[in-house]
Amino acid sequence: MADRKVTPEMMAEKEKWNQIYKVCCVASREFKDRNCVFGGVGISFLAVAIAKQVHAPNMILVAEAGYVGFTGVTSMGSPADNAGGFMAMCHQGLFDMFRDQQAGFMDQACLGLAQIDKFGNVGVSYVNPLIRMNGSGGGGDISSSAKSVTYVGEYNPRQFQAKVDYITNPGFLDGSKNARQKAGLVGEGPSAFVTDRGIFRFDPETHEMYLSDVFPWQDDKEIAEIVDAAPWDMKVAKDLKIIAPPSEDEANAVAMMDPLQGYRITQFMERPSAKYILMGRHDLIAYNYNAILVEESLRNNMKVMI
Amino acid sequence: MAEEVDHKHKLYKLMSEQEAVSTFVHDGTSFTVGGFLINRESDCVFREIARQGQKDLKFIEESASPGVDMLIGTGQVVKFDTAYIMHRQVGGIVGMPNIERCLKEGNPRPVNMGGFMSTPDYKGNEQPLEIVDWTNFQVALRFVAAAMNVPFMPNRSSFGTDVPKYNKQIKFMKDPYTDQPIHLIPRCDLDVAFITVQKADRRGNGQVWGYEGCDVWKARAAKHVVLFAEKIVSTEEIYRHPAHTIIPAYCTDAVVYLPFSSLPFPVYGCHSSDGFITMDMLLSSQTRDSWKMWMDNWVFGCKNNAEFCGKIGWEVLERSVKSAHVLATIPD
Repeated sequence: MADRKVTPEMMAEKEKWNQIYKVCCVASREFKDRNCVFGGVGISFLAVAIAKQVHAPNMILVAEAGYVGFTGVTSMGSPADNAGGFMAMCHQGLFDMFRDQQAGFMDQACLGLAQIDKFGNVGVSYVNPLIRMNGSGGGGDISSSAKSVTYVGEYNPRQFQAKVDYITNPGFLDGSKNARQKAGLVGEGPSAFVTDRGIFRFDPETHEMYLSDVFPWQDDKEIAEIVDAAPWDMKVAKDLKIIAPPSEDEANAVAMMDPLQGYRITQFMERPSAKYILMGRHDLIAYNYNAILVEESLRNNMKVMI
Repeated sequence: MAEEVDHKHKLYKLMSEQEAVSTFVHDGTSFTVGGFLINRESDCVFREIARQGQKDLKFIEESASPGVDMLIGTGQVVKFDTAYIMHRQVGGIVGMPNIERCLKEGNPRPVNMGGFMSTPDYKGNEQPLEIVDWTNFQVALRFVAAAMNVPFMPNRSSFGTDVPKYNKQIKFMKDPYTDQPIHLIPRCDLDVAFITVQKADRRGNGQVWGYEGCDVWKARAAKHVVLFAEKIVSTEEIYRHPAHTIIPAYCTDAVVYLPFSSLPFPVYGCHSSDGFITMDMLLSSQTRDSWKMWMDNWVFGCKNNAEFCGKIGWEVLERSVKSAHVLATIPD
């Protein structure tokens, strides 16, 4: 870490990718081939789907509504999206999914978060004062019982809390030895929190969250800023790893799955479909245009996937 | 109410959507819809209940459709058990603006959120909307317990979190056999389940393609089950794919022939979602006044689901069906 220099090329690379690419492409590298991986909603699904397309073709992708081993040819609006049923190994139910998870079949999972503490306990339902978030959904069950959980999200210092307002997803609880096993939890807890400003992991002994990987364009000043923003004395890994920026393949996978740019354009109102509405093109032409884009992308992706 | 009719033992159970809702939904009824989150949720039910105006309803669902937000806006729901709502969207759009207004302004009623937060400084007299926080699996287990006719199901989720701390219905105990910690999830008391299925016959055999969600359990947990069928088929056609009959006739009270019952949301193998109406609804709902205009136009301005479809446009829906058929079709 000592003599690292940030070059103009690195800064150009930084500007090239928006936060979605930075988070999802990097997070996708956490998921292993042949594992059974539980994808969440939104970008946590995208991260898993990139892995499936780029380096883990034999991964069994599961969605909580009951789709098992699907190809992930397109982005999913919800875990029950019709696309999840497309080229899937098995269609079952939500109860069956969580039953299998509690029995220990799910190796990895990917989830989003609103607040996280030192020991990886996560809150996604309520944030003080008076903010209702989405709620745990399956996240509470997944973080309880999946063998390991990777959290993803755009970096925001507010996420790091000394005490999470309302814990929905158990991490390492109070951080003591075997705290999870003693409490009765089946899974082994969170493994990483991937953000667009570095990857945070958990110490195997103390279960404390530390900064383990950074992007090549993050200098010592930025690292110090991230560490200072955490309300506890966050440590930085001695052998701080450098993250390779999103690759061409990963970027292509995102483009392939996202014909309507619902993920790539982070601002809701700047997406093409929102623009149609604002322009008053709330008519057949716009509908057709969207549907044709999606259909074309599906047909192309099918060729790639089979 | 007049004398009880034994709907489950009728030979043929066809009904209209208005009749099904008015027969089974009364003031104080607890209900759920099939499917999961937005897919294959019978969203027409929320619009029909809004039109009929039943009060003090209780809604229970693992991950809830944004459709229930309109019943919260009209003040018809007083209890809402859920694990997830699509509330915070990327780009600062609020997914359930009526819940947000209940929380911030107490309009149309204040809200008690999971015992953790509630509407501050509420001066009115409306009964608060009770939102109870669970996880998906726990809500599913509530249906399972009711379906199996047992008082509770054991569960290993949520130890060490605030979910059981604020939700007193989740009981903690040591397993009497091994002395390990376990959570007990109580059965739910469910009056009606509205479930959209791809195919059903007149007797009420419901066949589902794609994911099943919790429909198997909801259909057995509820006192009354209403199927919304995308297609009504003969019983001979049911015999061709018996493994897809997840809801046999003995569960069912009524069958409604209602294509596009989940609009604006998708049904596997039948039609895709209508992103434009969804976004229009979301954007309009951001303020109470524009939400009311949206309701007048799209809900109170339509007599039934067919008029709602007509308003969207049948050409648009044809396109939507074609898009869904790229992914999958339902075999004859």
